[in-house]
Amino acid sequence: MQRRTAVKQLFFIAGGIVLFPSCWGGANEASIALRKLHINAEQENLLAEIVESIIPETDSPGGRALHLHLFVLKMIDDCHSEEDQQVFVQGLKDWDQEMNNFVGKSYLTEIEKDKAHPLFGFFMMTKRRTIQGYLNSEYVMRNKVIYELVPGRYNGYAKV
Amino acid sequence: MANINIDSIKECTFDAIVIGSGISGGWATKELCEKGLRTLVLERGRDVKHVKDYPTTNMYPYEFEHRLEMSYEDKQKNPIANRCYAYREDSQHFFVKDDEHPYIQEKEFDWIRGYQVGGKSLLWARQVQRWSDFDFEGPARDGFAVDWPIRYRDLAPWYDHVERFIGVAGNRDGVAELPDGAFLPSYPLNAVEDHFKRVVASKYANRHVVSARCAHLSQPAPIHLEQGRVQCQNRVLCQRGCPFGGYFSSNASTLPWAEKTGNMTLRPFSVVESILYDEQRGKAVGVRVIDANTKEATEFYSRVIFVNASTLNSNLILLNSISSRFPNGLGNDNGLLGKYIGFHSYTAVISGEYEGELEYRTDGRNPAGGGYIPRFRNIYKQETDFLRGWAATFNANRNPYTDTSGVGASLKDQLLHPKLGNWRVGSHMMGETIPKESNKVWLDAIKKDQWGVPLLHIDVAYDDNDWKIRTDYFEQMTAMFEAAGFQNIKTRNDDRRPGNDIHEMGGVRMGHDPQTSLLNKWNQLHTCENVFVTDGACMTSTATQNPSLTYMALTARAVDYAFTLMKKGVL
Repeated sequence: MQRRTAVKQLFFIAGGIVLFPSCWGGANEASIALRKLHINAEQENLLAEIVESIIPETDSPGGRALHLHLFVLKMIDDCHSEEDQQVFVQGLKDWDQEMNNFVGKSYLTEIEKDKAHPLFGFFMMTKRRTIQGYLNSEYVMRNKVIYELVPGRYNGYAKV
Repeated sequence: MANINIDSIKECTFDAIVIGSGISGGWATKELCEKGLRTLVLERGRDVKHVKDYPTTNMYPYEFEHRLEMSYEDKQKNPIANRCYAYREDSQHFFVKDDEHPYIQEKEFDWIRGYQVGGKSLLWARQVQRWSDFDFEGPARDGFAVDWPIRYRDLAPWYDHVERFIGVAGNRDGVAELPDGAFLPSYPLNAVEDHFKRVVASKYANRHVVSARCAHLSQPAPIHLEQGRVQCQNRVLCQRGCPFGGYFSSNASTLPWAEKTGNMTLRPFSVVESILYDEQRGKAVGVRVIDANTKEATEFYSRVIFVNASTLNSNLILLNSISSRFPNGLGNDNGLLGKYIGFHSYTAVISGEYEGELEYRTDGRNPAGGGYIPRFRNIYKQETDFLRGWAATFNANRNPYTDTSGVGASLKDQLLHPKLGNWRVGSHMMGETIPKESNKVWLDAIKKDQWGVPLLHIDVAYDDNDWKIRTDYFEQMTAMFEAAGFQNIKTRNDDRRPGNDIHEMGGVRMGHDPQTSLLNKWNQLHTCENVFVTDGACMTSTATQNPSLTYMALTARAVDYAFTLMKKGVL
């Protein structure tokens, strides 16, 4: 147990998003350290699939490759109320049981349109954080929608 | 032993002491040191060295654990700090956390503080406008507070002096109620801001939209390069501290400048508990300092003392400086110390859209933020059912927007290809408040903080005049927006609490008469002549301008006067 904690910390120190090998000790736990959420490896995998469905791999990386599911977990864990966290965890459970892991695009669109859908709260939270993680990812900010740290200019009459 | 005592007293004795290293304390320090005075600067917080102590300054958004968002836990723990617009993951280390420094709110009041070397000069919004005589003459004309003991002509050369050193981008607009200054090139208005300016000018005789004047180096002069500051790079990440010194702060400018004279001693972690008054000599002789870490008390001595601890803390220190001569606080014979606190009412915003000038967009970022509308109500005569009036910001942007509907490849495509829509326009109100005796602060008789300093009670609220000003702002701005062809106009009450404007002023006001004011026209305590208060606490009224520039000018003027008296041997 101690060794495990030590190794975990090592991964933390390595910086950025904490990622463990998928074969991690065979323990059925999420791959990042969470303070409040209790998420197992299957649920994390399901979340990755949902995130991948929201932002799929095309000619550029999708949600899973960019680890957006881990970003969603991190944000829900640190920046949401307990009520939100309950909705989130319950959403993952319900999805797992009722939908048998089905994450097809048409199904997601259906949830988004139906505010009364039992998974609506969960889905919108997940979608918002996924989009935030995507647009604020190093990949997108460096390669797609470029973020300028030092613009060095202002033009109030730039031609469109 | 006797010799040791004399030596240790010598070590603790300076020509001048400055309490506080923020925007006005930094100026007091610079001016005192330049005059050859050995100056001790006391700062209650830690040291923050320019660039070296700006840990987040070069970070990309994705390098922040929560992409700049504060955690839920922090929001629960520090609701006051979290209500400040600038408190985020990149700047939170420069803010006081709620539970570290408690105070007692008689009515809801957000006291936003920055306890470190440089104070809130690292965090300020950098807007700098001069006052005019329409502001200085306000109390006398309209019969509130007391008459200011100075007029624009008294301060004008000191505004010049300060502006040249800090660097102010602006236009010489020729507007009487917003005097021109010593400006660097302005940040020009954009296409829609210019459109609004033209419409307002053609429709209203005395209303103006000008480029916001800001303390940024749009084009540094030699005096700025000499400070080690270079041109602003339009990052607009100022609250992190600027590695270019593109905007003015004590850290980038006045303090290193003062240090170069060899006359400055900067002492962080020094909580000033009180000013020491010598009954025999009839003047202040020094200050009592509690070490923030060890809680150990030390005394320092000097010929003059500048109080620049930030408005409410300057009030607190004076209230806590008790002697037989001054049982109710230093200089407080009339019982008015801590009273007539003013602030700015930021309680209204308006927004809209504009479907014109669509051949243009903006490119890069504007550190000035856009346009500024000086107060135009009740300028030449009283013309409304409320006193004074409001100034306002005005800005237009055409930032690309992102369609976040749907999921899958189409959503991804939308996210990667933001669209240019209509222009969005917006404004927020900056209302003058009327200082009243009932808006006040005082010390708790029993409760103390961990340094043994009494807790401050704050009892400050809006009044009917503030709500009338807000109604007028909504009516007039709506009419101006409509005249400019803006659509989808929305007015919104901003429910922010007093204090959240971070423009608290007064409590130690200037005036002609020792019966009705604490400070004279040189910012000297009427009844303790070697103590000068030159931060926001000295303000007799609030006007509508962002106040820091005026604090800096008052400070430089007061130091000059103090030095004259010291040379004459009066102080």
